[in-house]
Amino acid sequence: MNYLDLSIDALHEALVKKEVTPLELTLEALKRAKEDNNNAIERLDEENAIAFAKTLTEPEVDNPLWGIPYFAKDNFSTKGVETTASSNILNGYVPIYDATVVKKLKDAKMVMIGKTTLDELAMGGTGTTGHLGKTYNPYDEKHLHMVGGSSCGSAASVAAGLVPFALGSDTGDSVRKPASYAGLVGMKPTWGRISRYGLFPFAPSLDHVAYFTRDVSLSAYALNALSGRDENDSTSSTRPVEDYAADLHKDVKGMRVAVLKDIVDSITNKVLLKKFNKSLEELKKKGVEIHEVEFGKELLESLYATYIVISCAEATSNDANLDGIKFGPYEGGNTYQEVMFNARTKGFSELIKRRFVIGSYCLMRENQEELFLRAQRNRAKIVAKINEILDNADFIYAPAAPGVAGLFDGASDKLSDEYLIADNHLCLGNFAGLPSITLPLGFEDGLPLGVNFMGKAFEERKLFNIAKTFEDISGLADLSALNKKEGNL
Amino acid sequence: MKTITMDVLKDAANRLLFTMSEEEYQTLYDEFQILTKQMGNIGKIEGLEDFAPMTFPFDCTTDFLREDEAKEPLPREEVLENAGNVQDNEIKLPKVVL
Amino acid sequence: MNFEAVIGLEIHVEMKTKSKMFSSAPVGFSREPNTQVAPLDMAFPGTMPVVNKQAVINAIRVANALHMEIDHTLYFDRKNYFYSDLPKGFQITQQARPIGKNGYLEVEIDGVKKKIGIERIHMEEDTCKQLHFMDYTLLDYNRAGVPLVEIVSLPEMSNGTEAMKYVETIRNIVLYSGTSDGKMEEGSLRCDTNVSIRPIGQKEFGTKVEVKNINSFKSIEAAIDYEIKRQSQLLLSGEKVRQETRRWDEASGKTVLMRVKTDAVDYKYFCEPNITPIHLSDEFVENAIRTCPELYDSKKERYLKAGLALSDVEIILSNIDMASYFEKAMDKVKNPKDLANFLIVEINAYLNKNVLKITDLSLKPETLAEIVLLQEEGGLSHKQCADILFKVLEEPTLSPKDAQKALNIVAQVSDTGAIMGFVTQVLDANPQSIADFKAGKDRALGFLVGQIMKLSKGKVNPAEASRLLKEELLKR
Repeated sequence: MNYLDLSIDALHEALVKKEVTPLELTLEALKRAKEDNNNAIERLDEENAIAFAKTLTEPEVDNPLWGIPYFAKDNFSTKGVETTASSNILNGYVPIYDATVVKKLKDAKMVMIGKTTLDELAMGGTGTTGHLGKTYNPYDEKHLHMVGGSSCGSAASVAAGLVPFALGSDTGDSVRKPASYAGLVGMKPTWGRISRYGLFPFAPSLDHVAYFTRDVSLSAYALNALSGRDENDSTSSTRPVEDYAADLHKDVKGMRVAVLKDIVDSITNKVLLKKFNKSLEELKKKGVEIHEVEFGKELLESLYATYIVISCAEATSNDANLDGIKFGPYEGGNTYQEVMFNARTKGFSELIKRRFVIGSYCLMRENQEELFLRAQRNRAKIVAKINEILDNADFIYAPAAPGVAGLFDGASDKLSDEYLIADNHLCLGNFAGLPSITLPLGFEDGLPLGVNFMGKAFEERKLFNIAKTFEDISGLADLSALNKKEGNL
Repeated sequence: MKTITMDVLKDAANRLLFTMSEEEYQTLYDEFQILTKQMGNIGKIEGLEDFAPMTFPFDCTTDFLREDEAKEPLPREEVLENAGNVQDNEIKLPKVVL
Repeated sequence: MNFEAVIGLEIHVEMKTKSKMFSSAPVGFSREPNTQVAPLDMAFPGTMPVVNKQAVINAIRVANALHMEIDHTLYFDRKNYFYSDLPKGFQITQQARPIGKNGYLEVEIDGVKKKIGIERIHMEEDTCKQLHFMDYTLLDYNRAGVPLVEIVSLPEMSNGTEAMKYVETIRNIVLYSGTSDGKMEEGSLRCDTNVSIRPIGQKEFGTKVEVKNINSFKSIEAAIDYEIKRQSQLLLSGEKVRQETRRWDEASGKTVLMRVKTDAVDYKYFCEPNITPIHLSDEFVENAIRTCPELYDSKKERYLKAGLALSDVEIILSNIDMASYFEKAMDKVKNPKDLANFLIVEINAYLNKNVLKITDLSLKPETLAEIVLLQEEGGLSHKQCADILFKVLEEPTLSPKDAQKALNIVAQVSDTGAIMGFVTQVLDANPQSIADFKAGKDRALGFLVGQIMKLSKGKVNPAEASRLLKEELLKR
């Protein structure tokens, strides 16, 4: 056991007492990263990380992020560090500016040690479509199971114990689903709470900066540093930043939790159901009021198509800037159209191209009403339903996924209820822009299972309160493949 | 809605300035069959037309406008350093015919 | 068969702001290429648009001047298309909810006023500038993201003159509201025209032809009138008008085919998700309007009321800097008409001769007003004041009074008694001239006036002297 594996509070105490230094932590994280075999890392930024860690000599007692090494998903703009979003069309692109969150973490004296891989351009949920191919689940030494995506590298790097924190992005469930598969805390706050400036967009109306930690406390501390109005992102909220860790240990008695019955009913995994039901009993013991609600099967079955239409439509437009002219490989051509055509044909994988065609088709004049606008109307209806449930509850609670991480070569039936409903519902939090956190529930055959709480807009403090309570119940704080635990559920 | 044929898909890809392999068009065609069926089902959801198309997840109307103050522009080297074809401090393309 | 033309115009106007529409890069023309650029203007991944307040204020001012309904909530849309000059692969514009709609303006042709309806005005951003060479094109991103408004008229104009007047009126609005330079020649005001013709009495529109590349007011008139003639001849000879885009060729005075239009381009518009709706309070909108600099029409009316001739008003207002100069001096003179005379005649002559602009003039408007007052109150003639003016222009350190002294200019005597003294003296000394005059020799009169001027050292008013001289001659 190394300092890196401690809880954030214990690690911070060790740093403050100078038992360990940021430089030692950074070197250890870099060493682990180099030895890691999960295919998680696009590139290390060793030199800068060490240089910065060396400057951190006077511990900041009130700053729990001080001196902590971390990874950023490779779709965050990092000045001077090549950033490709794991797409060939951005090979060699070295941004000239830092994403706001990267700057904020630097200001908080966190040490970025490198960039993690992802599904190409953050589109995809398998962790298999980026530069590195498959990213493995650190809980499976045989490398048969996925870790999920699109933030696969960030999930794997935290779960493998390389770093206590990693930045990711979440458009449908790209942090919160891998968090479930990797036994991590995956947090996506309210839309607008964290600036997206410098996050390579996938679908801005659904995109969120999100992140992985191994305990709820660090998740709350990190939000304190990441939140806030940014003059470069006019969608960022002007609401004052709160101390999101203020209520971590508050009594949850009387809080109301709505369990989405349709989702639970669609799940066939007995281990998951048993643990989930046990968690309900334990929450009740803490004084939490649990009630079941029906979301409506028809509406839940519509999530996937609605998500695909909206996200692909926005994506095809966002990625129209990728043409090989201003940045990215210049492939030449006899006309400007050929220059763009060559760059885009070579630069995008076939999956990405298919998604762009889908999105573009949905936006065409003669299709827009029946596809794009219909999906946007359905989004409004879905959001109305979520808000109706939250009128009578503080949180919506459900298993984060229908089971453990899938096999790389496992055929998933994309039209089964279990797939359509239980595997896709986390996008509710993106449709409604609500804060949503995934937490480890327990294990099945050594692979993690997770749950998810979703709260009301800008009520992150309360969400961390229930999350911390849940973490105490599960006993699964500070989990990693190097620090395995059984848990209480 | 436009009927989906392989030609429609190829034309759509072409307008997005890329091409795909033949098998991919077939995969795409199959994906479209599923998607349009599901979107058709969504069209049958009762009361859907009562909802206005949603872009923003909740009311986030603001009164903020940026003050019109110019900031230091990027150094020209930074503007151009990622471009693959540069001449005389400008990005160069084959002649654009009007 | 007689035809009538139906003309609609789309005008793009570059807004005069310090920074760009959605980025904080400075707006500056004629700078070194690619030196006025922010990350957003290069469409670097992860950059986001933030709306410029002044651009919104400018759009409100123009919308108000065009009598439009102003939308108090701003939404933006993406117009998606690929082009070499479009860094993001889309342009941010306002498709669904333009900031202004349903307006009009009035043009006056030969004293007859005509109202022309305006469909919409919306805000958007400019593209980067392309420099075309023999076999390549260079891209300068300084212009990328400069704020634009697009003003779309209804198809309600029927000839080139109306269209020209329409554009002139819009130019005057954007110029005098301080929202744009409005220079067609430099591209800060660009005009695309749609021209169709139909037999008089027919309700349906004919086939629309778009004419681009019109770079001056005169060319608008010429291009449209040419196009009307061309289409009429086609129809008269039994041919059809093709739907196409044509280019105005200044040199040949003709429109030339650019491309035949196939299907309308599908821009796949959708709401820009990176700009949340922006509410404009009543106060904000009212303030933007209230603080708008005085518009052309209002100035025109005021100058006419102040006694200026219409032609003089038009000359002064044709140059906003001259109008501004005039404005600074007009309250300091008794009769602004006198000031206008100096500006239009002497000052303009001086500027032309020295190839200067009025903004180059070192002479302060207040100083010019002083010179005008020498005429109005100081008893000097216009000619005398003009001499003083030129002296001051040559030697800017001199005050008008100093210049007057240096030139030995003295006030004219207009007192009848004093002038009579000179008249009597001259007549007494020149009996032969009196005789000549009585014998019908008019030249004698000129000689006598000359003698009076000589005797008085030029101080007397020659007209008055001449009048009194004639009276006295009749008596003798």
